[in-house]
Amino acid sequence: MSAPLGTPATGRVLDVQRLGVRFAVQDEVVSAVSNVSLTIDAGEIVGVVGESGCGKSTLAMAIMGLLGSTAHITGRVELLGRDLAGLTVEERRQVRGDRMSMIFQDPLTSLDPAFGVGDQVAETIRAHRTVTPAEARARAIGLLESVGIPAAATRYSDPPHRLSGGMRQRVVIATALANDPALLIADEPSTALDVTIQAQLLSLLRDQRDARGMAILLITHDLGVVAQLCDRVAVMYAGQLVETATVEQVFRAPRHPYTQALLAAQPSAGLARGSLRVIGGQVPDLSDPPPGCRFAPRCPLVRPECDTPPELLAAQPGHSVACWADPATHPGAAATASSTGAPRGAAA
Amino acid sequence: MTTAATTRSAPSHLTRLKRRTGGGEALVGFLLLGMLVFIAAGAPWIAPHDPEAIATGRVLGPPDLGHLFGSDALGRDVFSRVLYAFRVSLSVAIGSVILAALIGVPIGLIAGYRGGRVDAMLMRPLDLLLALPALLLAIALIAIIGPGALTVLVAAALIYVPILARVVRGSVMVTKQMPYVDAARARGVAERSVMIRHVLPNSVGPAVIQGTVLMGFAIQIEAALSFLGLGAQPPTPSLGVMLSDGRDVLTQAPWVEIFPGLAIAITVLALTLVGDGLRRRLDPRGMAR
Repeated sequence: MSAPLGTPATGRVLDVQRLGVRFAVQDEVVSAVSNVSLTIDAGEIVGVVGESGCGKSTLAMAIMGLLGSTAHITGRVELLGRDLAGLTVEERRQVRGDRMSMIFQDPLTSLDPAFGVGDQVAETIRAHRTVTPAEARARAIGLLESVGIPAAATRYSDPPHRLSGGMRQRVVIATALANDPALLIADEPSTALDVTIQAQLLSLLRDQRDARGMAILLITHDLGVVAQLCDRVAVMYAGQLVETATVEQVFRAPRHPYTQALLAAQPSAGLARGSLRVIGGQVPDLSDPPPGCRFAPRCPLVRPECDTPPELLAAQPGHSVACWADPATHPGAAATASSTGAPRGAAA
Repeated sequence: MTTAATTRSAPSHLTRLKRRTGGGEALVGFLLLGMLVFIAAGAPWIAPHDPEAIATGRVLGPPDLGHLFGSDALGRDVFSRVLYAFRVSLSVAIGSVILAALIGVPIGLIAGYRGGRVDAMLMRPLDLLLALPALLLAIALIAIIGPGALTVLVAAALIYVPILARVVRGSVMVTKQMPYVDAARARGVAERSVMIRHVLPNSVGPAVIQGTVLMGFAIQIEAALSFLGLGAQPPTPSLGVMLSDGRDVLTQAPWVEIFPGLAIAITVLALTLVGDGLRRRLDPRGMAR
């Protein structure tokens, strides 16, 4: 399986710089994603966490180039050193499903009900490689076996509804891996499945990462999944990244008030009945977001500086945070609102 | 329908057939339709007499063993004529829907999938066509081309194109929102293949159902136009022509009128039952069975 662009065993796979996505909805403009910078290296699993509606999926769709014409996209997305915005429609298609691929949330609806499951894998191969139908079929069967589908050859022509949810998601993963992508975007890959199947699929993803050395961008709202699978985490709130760090750093010493609140809100087994912690307030309206930090209206540490947007700055190696109250990035935080902290771009 | 004694592990052939066709009535519809098609195809072999042979000795003869449906004002065998007329009617019905589908389905698919300006450009002229009364449109077309079974076929197709295009467009607009369409795009499948391979097969269900209903309707259009003398021209037997002839002798020889009327009713019933069955079978909610 040779890939035209080559899959580097090491090095930068994805480099997102100041990505913004705005939707014009009637006479309103909704900024679903703003100023998101993110990098992923080969072999790395990076989790993007945040609550529903924070722009995680929009970020994924923007990277894939699957947003419709209503979306206005700013910033840069580089895959393997190539700026994707500079590609023609056909060139973008060639990248999708080949160098980067995507797994959708719901395995029940992301497979075509009118198609055999194996055919969908084979179709993905044939969209990018000149192979005979027989070759594509043989490869598809091999892929289905490698993601743990028993008797793949006899299952090949089965329509999706003959398979269980977990099996279907395995098929979806097989289609995503069909052309040995450098980047796999997984949008809530296990949310629709029950917990035991979820664990199996996460370990399948990890095994495939280990075997193929691809990078994975995992989008989830489940911190447990992040802890199990990811190397690094980016925390997203209301369309912006508020903190990026290694998994250890985030769980041991979260720096952003939102991350702290999110972790505190995790229920645990020993919790007394009725004592769930919540974050007070509401997610801001993205058609009219707060002028500065978008978390400010709900933040316990809010201060005058918060009316200007904070930059994502490195607090320590590998750990960046966008918060005026953070003592490492804004040493004189409590003093005056005059600090403009030279933006050094986003540290990875 | 009957006592299909089914064990849970092995459903009987009848049960399986019923499930595949979409219920008991639909099975009746399919059987009826199959029989009718068989009769239409085999008319030259089944018909006991030449449908155009005039027999002065048997003018308005009542039904008997040699002439099951009696004979008409010219002594022609009504049974044989119904069989041949049926051939014409069924060909017009099937042909018009196929012709309309060949034009309407691609238009609806492209309009629904592309949306926006393409949609407007393709659908607006069809809406115009839809605004004209169907029968008037057919009569206008006949005035231009001249009467005949083939003209009726084209006229019915012209009436059906906007109907089928609308139905397909509507279901395409729903289907294109499905996650598997986005997923196909994410796999790098080219837009045209997404449209033809993934959107179309998941959108034709309603059009197939509509098509069977329209076939029944075409039988009626053909009969209506022939009744007005605008369809199949004598001596070609046609159900509408026969109805028209029978009207004149209704009080003396009701069989001349009744049997072609029954033939129309049964055909439309069969097509409606089949349409209902297909609806049940192709309904997305029934998909997972």
